[in-house]
Amino acid sequence: MNQRGFLKQYGLPVLTGLLVGGAAVLLTLLGNPKNMGFCIACFLRDIAGALNLQRAGYEAELGSGIVQYMRPEIVGLVLGSMAIALFKKEFRPKGGSSPMIRFLLAVFVMIGALVFLGCPLRMVIRIGGGDLNALVGLAGFIAGILIGIFFLNHGFSLKRAYKQSYAEGMTTPVLMLLLMLVLLYAPALLASSRSGPGSMRAPVLAALAVATVIGALAQRSRLCMVGGIRDAVMFRDFRLVSAFLAIIVAVLIGNLITGSFKGFSFADQPIAHTDGLWNFLGMTMVGWGSVLLGGCPLRQLILAGEGNTDSGITVMGFIAGAAISHNFSLASSAAGIGAGPVAQTMILGFALLAAVSAANLERVEV
Amino acid sequence: MNYAATFHTHLAALRSYKRLSAAGVSARQAPVPRSLSSSCGTCVLYQYHQPALDLLDGDLEAVYQMTTEGYQLIHQNEE
Repeated sequence: MNQRGFLKQYGLPVLTGLLVGGAAVLLTLLGNPKNMGFCIACFLRDIAGALNLQRAGYEAELGSGIVQYMRPEIVGLVLGSMAIALFKKEFRPKGGSSPMIRFLLAVFVMIGALVFLGCPLRMVIRIGGGDLNALVGLAGFIAGILIGIFFLNHGFSLKRAYKQSYAEGMTTPVLMLLLMLVLLYAPALLASSRSGPGSMRAPVLAALAVATVIGALAQRSRLCMVGGIRDAVMFRDFRLVSAFLAIIVAVLIGNLITGSFKGFSFADQPIAHTDGLWNFLGMTMVGWGSVLLGGCPLRQLILAGEGNTDSGITVMGFIAGAAISHNFSLASSAAGIGAGPVAQTMILGFALLAAVSAANLERVEV
Repeated sequence: MNYAATFHTHLAALRSYKRLSAAGVSARQAPVPRSLSSSCGTCVLYQYHQPALDLLDGDLEAVYQMTTEGYQLIHQNEE
């Protein structure tokens, strides 16, 4: 491949990855939690909190839980994707591909992510930040993706999506816009943490602006943490996984420049625990479920912005999963895994993934 | 001639790839080219003297002929 060909193939994914990594470092400098400049699972969990669907760590004297905030980053990603999709005439409302199954899968993907403490995007940000627990998570994530690929290659399908109305396709972006307007003009309607990770936040408009740019770039590059590994394994296509690596490089360099990098270690990493088994299994669930869903949580937000209502339903499943996770004490913390029935729920989740995978197999040879 | 077929599902791409291969058509699966779609699905790239529509799955989305100028749409199923 010559230089021009290389740039054409890898230029946009690598640029997007570098900017996502840079944005994560910038948002951390501006106030977001460490190694959590950009985390789709964490931020959707915070939104579940803002809507009072969960009040984890509620402190009566403060009147709030510790992970409640209407994160503008999520709004920005969806609206950035929508704006560029409209501009490029790629806003095509479609849906109807097993929405209930997608909702259930999303619930358990979120539960797995909160056992690990992060979505695939935060996993790579944590790796760039020196958190070796995230490497254990990556191993689990790859294992989960390989299981998903096995079923894809043996005829797994959630069936095709069909064209939907413009109004249906606009539902998720409009919902996000409305939540943003409430945050800006009637914030008292939303719960808001006064302590804990939910109280650590970049300025609203800065977070919205950064995420809008990232949303647009992610739409153009089809950035997807799951898709990167899936394409590399299935097609020996390394374009998306190059973005994955670019994020790690950008975060590492950014943390070195800002002095946030404290070396590679398992212990004392920000908002992370050292239980290797659960770090592995949490991300296995995320990887497997995300392959069945056709993309990681970030990708689902971007697709929802393009008018994909199946992805919109999936995002709702993530929010529901976050609420369940915290209300039943399934989410981990820096102290370790949650005090609730984590093992039982994870067994249930893996059983559900297996059942969905098997029940949706069709004959490949016809 | 070189063709690229896009599908509504990965399964449809897989089935089409298997049928084309069984019929002796040189084919491979690949991510859908970005210039064709914003979706991250699977397409089938194949070489044949005609588009071989009869070998492609019913969940076919579109078939493009690959030319020096790029992809030229030659067949599209109803959405």
